[in-house]
Amino acid sequence: MAQVSLNNLKKTYDGKQDVLAGINLEITDGEFVVLVGPSGCGKSTLLRMLSGLEEISGGDLVIDGVRCNDLPPAKRGIAMVFQSYALYPHMNVYKNMAFGLKIHGAKKDEIDRRIKHAAAILKIDHLLHRLPRELSGGQRQRVAIGRAIVREPKLFLFDEPLSNLDAALRVQTRLEIAKLHRDLQATIVYVTHDQVEAMTLGDKIVVMHDGKIQQAGTPLALYQQPSNLFVATFIGSPKMNLLEGVVAEASATGVSVTLAGGQVLRTEVDGSKLAAGDRVTVGIRSEHLWENNAGSEQFTGTVNLVEHLGEANFLYVTLANGQDVVVRGDGEREVAIGDTISLSAPAASFHVFNHEGQALQRLKPGNMVAAKRTA
Amino acid sequence: MNTKIGKLSSTAFTHLVLAGYTLLAMFPIVLIMINSVKSRDGIFDNPLAFPTSETFSLVGFHKVLAKSPFLHFFQNSLTVTIVSLVLILLFAAMAAWALSEYKFRGNRWLAVYLAFGIMVPIRLGTVSILKLAVALEPFHMGVNTLAILILVYVAQGLPLAVMILSEFMQQIPKELKEAARCDGVGEFKIFFQIILPLIRPAVATVAVFTMVPIWNDLWFPLILAPGEETQTVTLGVQQFIGQYVTDWNAVLASLSLAVLPVLIMYVFASRQLIRGITAGAVK
Amino acid sequence: MKRFSFWHVVVFLAPAVLIYTVFSAYPLLDTLRLGFYSTSDTGAQSWSGIANYTKLLTDPQWSDAFWNAMRNNLKFFAIHLCIQNPIGLLLAALLSLKGVKGAKAYQTVIFLPTLLSVVIIGFIWQLILSPLWGVSEKLMGYVGLADYFAPWLGQESSALITLALMSVWQFVGIPMMLIYASLIAIPEEIIEAAVVEGASPWRIFWQIRLPLILPTLGLVTILTFVGNFNAFDLIYSVKGAIAGPNYSTDILGTFFYRTFFGYQSQIGSPTMGATVATTMFIIILGGVAVYTYLIQRKLQRHAF
Repeated sequence: MAQVSLNNLKKTYDGKQDVLAGINLEITDGEFVVLVGPSGCGKSTLLRMLSGLEEISGGDLVIDGVRCNDLPPAKRGIAMVFQSYALYPHMNVYKNMAFGLKIHGAKKDEIDRRIKHAAAILKIDHLLHRLPRELSGGQRQRVAIGRAIVREPKLFLFDEPLSNLDAALRVQTRLEIAKLHRDLQATIVYVTHDQVEAMTLGDKIVVMHDGKIQQAGTPLALYQQPSNLFVATFIGSPKMNLLEGVVAEASATGVSVTLAGGQVLRTEVDGSKLAAGDRVTVGIRSEHLWENNAGSEQFTGTVNLVEHLGEANFLYVTLANGQDVVVRGDGEREVAIGDTISLSAPAASFHVFNHEGQALQRLKPGNMVAAKRTA
Repeated sequence: MNTKIGKLSSTAFTHLVLAGYTLLAMFPIVLIMINSVKSRDGIFDNPLAFPTSETFSLVGFHKVLAKSPFLHFFQNSLTVTIVSLVLILLFAAMAAWALSEYKFRGNRWLAVYLAFGIMVPIRLGTVSILKLAVALEPFHMGVNTLAILILVYVAQGLPLAVMILSEFMQQIPKELKEAARCDGVGEFKIFFQIILPLIRPAVATVAVFTMVPIWNDLWFPLILAPGEETQTVTLGVQQFIGQYVTDWNAVLASLSLAVLPVLIMYVFASRQLIRGITAGAVK
Repeated sequence: MKRFSFWHVVVFLAPAVLIYTVFSAYPLLDTLRLGFYSTSDTGAQSWSGIANYTKLLTDPQWSDAFWNAMRNNLKFFAIHLCIQNPIGLLLAALLSLKGVKGAKAYQTVIFLPTLLSVVIIGFIWQLILSPLWGVSEKLMGYVGLADYFAPWLGQESSALITLALMSVWQFVGIPMMLIYASLIAIPEEIIEAAVVEGASPWRIFWQIRLPLILPTLGLVTILTFVGNFNAFDLIYSVKGAIAGPNYSTDILGTFFYRTFFGYQSQIGSPTMGATVATTMFIIILGGVAVYTYLIQRKLQRHAF
């Protein structure tokens, strides 16, 4: 059971460029923390620094009150699950799981007890005497997790553990990892580049970009109040629509933005730090652009392309002022390419970002679907 | 702090062992080279010293080049090695292509038949090869010709080359050949214009495994082509040293002359060579 | 649709199969056949069944020399196995460590001797070990061992060992490269997994890396075996066909050469030579068979 603090953690290679520039993060006991970001953002490096595989160039890593910067991996009380599973090819499943325990001098019956217990949790009891090459990808994944469980670590580290599985198995394993977290009450740090994985698994999501934490928070907080343009476009699929504009009027209760083409848009964000004439970017998620007149702000546009998903469809629309947006529409409504449609959105659904890309506080970041129903 | 000291000492140990062995590997060759350009007195008085203006002397090289047709030996070795290599590569590539691309009856058996030669040294057939060479004399492929050496070396090198190239060809994407066939390109054209250029990277690997044993071989030149006209460098040096064993200048110079071309080639090709071995060995 | 014809196959295969058959397979089979013939004083050959083999293995005039060569050859192989391969393993293990500066340079130099002719290497070492020149004595003197120097190549007790060590020195690069290649093929994550579990570098080597490269060690062993039982050049160039002193360095290769071409008073015999060659063939084949059916099957290759 672990309380982990990262204080101004830094990574530089050869004293040159910062790969990680001062990471601050608190991980509470039993928390499932997901590090997410595009490739090269430093998330894997950060994980490897937690594990001890990568040296820490600066700052402090504290696990349960002990500074761990210079401790070897085995003394940190961690266990790691690798992307390629990294099972020892010449050892059967049982020996794979026993290897680490033997090193630490555990007794035979204790090793046996722990392995049986982990195997039962993961439903791999019948595989204990197989070699890794005789297992399917999903089974190997379980063994890799099992090898971590038997060590009874304070902290589990997962390095993109699902990326080698096919799509169906990935969804299934994702659910199992979530269940495992609940059952074991384990503290987990999990790295992925897949935002869906991050949203579904994490208690806390840490979005990283360019070696910095962009935002850390609950999935819903990140979705409803992304703190900057990067997080806004990284979280959510399809990407948040962005419209460029200039502030017409700003106050603590709302901001009016003049879009290209002259339309003035009312948004319910805290504009106390903006002045008329500032350049801003307005963001709106595809599901908040409605194909009826329920919202207060109105647009018209032409449909360029329709993607049918069944329960919904994505309409690729060019607005009257020439800007492209994606609209999540009713899946069973038939729309043809070239149709002109009218769209609306409630003023509370807009995100506004200042010229530095930082988000302004939304005043009512709540449930827009409820808003739609009442409208 | 302790881990840092531990790391440092293990790094030191690593370099000590590696550098030590490297020195051991280099020392004999360097020793021969530096003494080959010294006078007789210099060689004996201080064998470990580099030549000085007093001890520097090329007398050994003069003697070697005057007393034996060294350059001619080189020419023989070069001819035998290069012609053999070209034929091995061409014939092995053709056979590898047929074996890996066409499914015909007896394909497996033929592959096993050829693979047999990888493990069984061709030397064991020497008695009959010599008989064969005598029989081929009327066709100018008999004893004391370079042709018989080349034929034997091609037979010796083919099995391994076929195996390496087959493995390499199986990695060529199917689509490439099928695209060509869809365009109506003939089988021979596909082989010569698409496949041959593609296997170039494997050539380095094949070259190491076939060229070196041919260049260095003593057995077949000794038995099949011992005549002065057809001696290769290896045999020539062996005979020369046997004859002038007490003339240290000449012996050292002839050894240096034999080492030098391989050394020069290695300086230019070592990178590719080592990459070829490492890549080939993982299979 | 059949996209190739019989003639395509024939044309592609003909040159390789023809040359291989005529100059490798046929001579080998013909040698096996000749082993059952004997040569009369006039040079005529006649069928004699297994008489040659009985002679080789039991007639003291032949069998003493044969078993002596066989024993020496086994010693020659044992020295390679026990010295060349462990050194190769050690060098490869050190080279494959992460972040060893100059690894490529070390590799390049250590591999160089394998490219040189055995004949050249033999002569070079002969000169270095020569008491006349005194290089070795001098070098040993630097570390206070000058008294231990002896003309090793000339002494019956040490000549074979010295020759074997010369060969080890030359060829250590081959096991080194093969083992190095298989060591670096082990995925980094497997090693890291062991590090995270607290395994020391020592334990990682013995319990993870070594078991994973056993197939390569098997391959190196069989290559060494075939090479050693086929060796000739080194002994011949340093010691001549007589393999002195007093046949103490005689191995099957030199024995075969003398039998075939004759030496001093004894006239060479192609048929007896063929018998020796066949025996060598059976030994090598036996080694390869043991390797393929017993060792290679057990040592599963691991796909990573």
